[in-house]
Amino acid sequence: MKEKLHKEPKTKEKDQTPIIEIKDLHKTFGKDNAVLKGVNLTLNKGEDLVVLGRSGSGKSVTIKCIVGLIEPDKGEIKVFDQNVLNISKSELNEIRVRIGFLFQSGALYDSMSVRENLAFTLTKHKRDLSPEEVENEVMEALENVGLADAVDKMPSELSGGMRKRIGLARTLILKPEIILYDEPTTGLDTITSREISELILDIKHKQKTSSIIITHDMACAKMTADRIVVLKEGVIHAEGTYEELEKDEDEWVRSFFE
Amino acid sequence: MILNIKNTFAEIGETTIFAKRFFKEVLIPPYETKEFLRQCYVIGYRSLPLVAITGFIMGLVLTLQSRPTLVKFGAESWLPGMVALSLIREIAPVITALICAGKISSGIGAELGSMKVTEQIDAMEVSAVNPYNYLVVTRVLACTLMVPILVFFADAIGIIGGYVGINIHGDVNFYRFLTQIVQSLEYLDLLPATLKTFFFGFFIGIIGCYKGFNASNGTESVGQAANSAVVTASLSIFIIDMVAVQITDLFF
Amino acid sequence: MEKQSGYTWKLGMFVTIGLLLFIMAVYFIGKQQNLFGSTFHITSQFKTVSGLEVGNNVRFSGINVGTVEQIQLKNDSTVVVVLVMKEEVRKFIKTDATASIGSDGLMGDKVLTISPGAKSKKVIEDNGQIASVDGIEMQDLMKSVKKSVDNVGIISEELAIFSHSMNNGNGALARLVKDDKMANSVSNTLSNLETGTKGFSENMEAAKSNFLFRGYFKKKEKEKKEKAEERKEKQEEAKKEKQEARQEKQEEQEKAAKEKEQKEKEEQQKQEDAKK
Repeated sequence: MKEKLHKEPKTKEKDQTPIIEIKDLHKTFGKDNAVLKGVNLTLNKGEDLVVLGRSGSGKSVTIKCIVGLIEPDKGEIKVFDQNVLNISKSELNEIRVRIGFLFQSGALYDSMSVRENLAFTLTKHKRDLSPEEVENEVMEALENVGLADAVDKMPSELSGGMRKRIGLARTLILKPEIILYDEPTTGLDTITSREISELILDIKHKQKTSSIIITHDMACAKMTADRIVVLKEGVIHAEGTYEELEKDEDEWVRSFFE
Repeated sequence: MILNIKNTFAEIGETTIFAKRFFKEVLIPPYETKEFLRQCYVIGYRSLPLVAITGFIMGLVLTLQSRPTLVKFGAESWLPGMVALSLIREIAPVITALICAGKISSGIGAELGSMKVTEQIDAMEVSAVNPYNYLVVTRVLACTLMVPILVFFADAIGIIGGYVGINIHGDVNFYRFLTQIVQSLEYLDLLPATLKTFFFGFFIGIIGCYKGFNASNGTESVGQAANSAVVTASLSIFIIDMVAVQITDLFF
Repeated sequence: MEKQSGYTWKLGMFVTIGLLLFIMAVYFIGKQQNLFGSTFHITSQFKTVSGLEVGNNVRFSGINVGTVEQIQLKNDSTVVVVLVMKEEVRKFIKTDATASIGSDGLMGDKVLTISPGAKSKKVIEDNGQIASVDGIEMQDLMKSVKKSVDNVGIISEELAIFSHSMNNGNGALARLVKDDKMANSVSNTLSNLETGTKGFSENMEAAKSNFLFRGYFKKKEKEKKEKAEERKEKQEEAKKEKQEARQEKQEEQEKAAKEKEQKEKEEQQKQEDAKK
């Protein structure tokens, strides 16, 4: 079933409404550690955008700027046509609810069981839910990532792949419109990476989400990407589909695909 | 050298801002009652055995150590009053606070530090849950309210320790012992001592949280956060104690 | 939910016991300070309270029965002290009880002592007033000490004059001490007297055997025996007194001697001054 899903033509779903627009983003850490030097990026609705780049090229910083974890020095970020850099905290939180963020390590709350991890986010936003409804939502989200039987485990008992899937389930429980993946396959074996990639595709089709996927795992990029941008030294260096970039004339870009 | 001093001041300033945020957010809903109760349990109930043992030993040792001096002055009958007075006014609050600095402050520092390093705090922030409200406010509040209660326990158990200490050499009826203690106590002994324990608790909580919350990325910094939380909290306890004693001395 | 109830009862127990300990401490200390329970007030006026402070203990028959609540100056020589006392001791304090201020313990904390009166049977009322006895003030003590020191001065001066005339004068006493002839004649007189009395006692023995006087002398002997026993006791007491008196005399003599020396020195100086 998953096979079938990812064979579906990608171009069909493209409609060119941008939901995230980043213009001329700058960020410098410390005194002279310039990480972003004018990044321009657009995410269209229903699109899976893969951001490629070496470690330290500013991929993570870019998406952390989108959700307001890092404040950029200069530039403009528009999410759902709202500039996230100069809105109030409560407005920002409203936008954050509509954006899911999957952290590298999964970032499960260590002190809580899987059920509590999922219910925590949910109950913080929908306080009038009955315990049965919460339970139903939790189980549904866990079934979406295929880990319904891990509901009573503690995060320390889970493997790396399971942690990421639970983390994804936790992100999904709020039914976000955009999901930002921070290196979803890093540190996992090939088979698990493939499972995660399939899950990303699966979610995209089921929940009609748009996503930005940061990775340097080419297998994952190949499976999930509608469009790929390559970051180099704080600027967008190249842009295109997987097939286009694979045959790019720039040797540095091609080096990713080898 | 100058840079060190500057850094110290910068840290004090940042801690102050961090603490200011606590007073702002403690009043703003949502109130994390469940997490607050859980923290009260962890901070209060779980620390009780440790506090009880140290309290008992302090009472016992204090009695045994002061006895020879008092006997020299022929004031042996003052022993219960003196032990109770020094326990309640000074020793129980400070020792309990130091134990809590070691146990609670480092615990909070390590817990929040590791949450910071593994991006759990970011995850909370991104899911539009205020991590300060959920993690810091609950812990600091629990510390502020639980440390005084722990001190009450330490007072009581310390006095029992003192009773045991007195009975090693002599034979004093427990009721007589208690009467002597109560006779030598006043509100002025109890109230400032209780008041300062709230400050102890607050500082233990806020320093632990600050150090944990501001751990830099990397597992090494978790240990650093826990360590410097203990050191800073212990130091601040002594400073608060000094200030508290001086203020008490000034007004009464 | 199940997990929560697992710790909440422990937490509840912890908090309850902790607060209970605190409340108990507050209660017992309060009871000690008479802030709870039924109490009544007494006032008393003093000339001076000699450092009595609010919160000092009030004692009745040596028992702590209350505390000093208030100390107020009424005018330049009157201080009003308000006491708060346990209701249960009111029935023992009569209207003619008196209050006095004393010190207590090593640290010299002041204590207000209420002493029972002798005559009155009327129990004191709430806010009633009792008389005060001014305690011995240090100043008063010093005054009396000064007086006795002055007296000692006068005595020693006179003593000096006395001993001077003994040494230098020509009176009977002085001659007895200094003149050998005089001493011999006195001792001769005494030995004569002795032989005289011996003869007299022999005469008396003879008289005793005379039947006419026998009854009279028997009576006398009985009285003598009784008196002798009494005398023994008296003598022992007298001895002790004498010893003490001697010591005092010695001290006085020493003082007198010293003063004499000083006087002589002064005289010498005067003479020298005069020479110059």
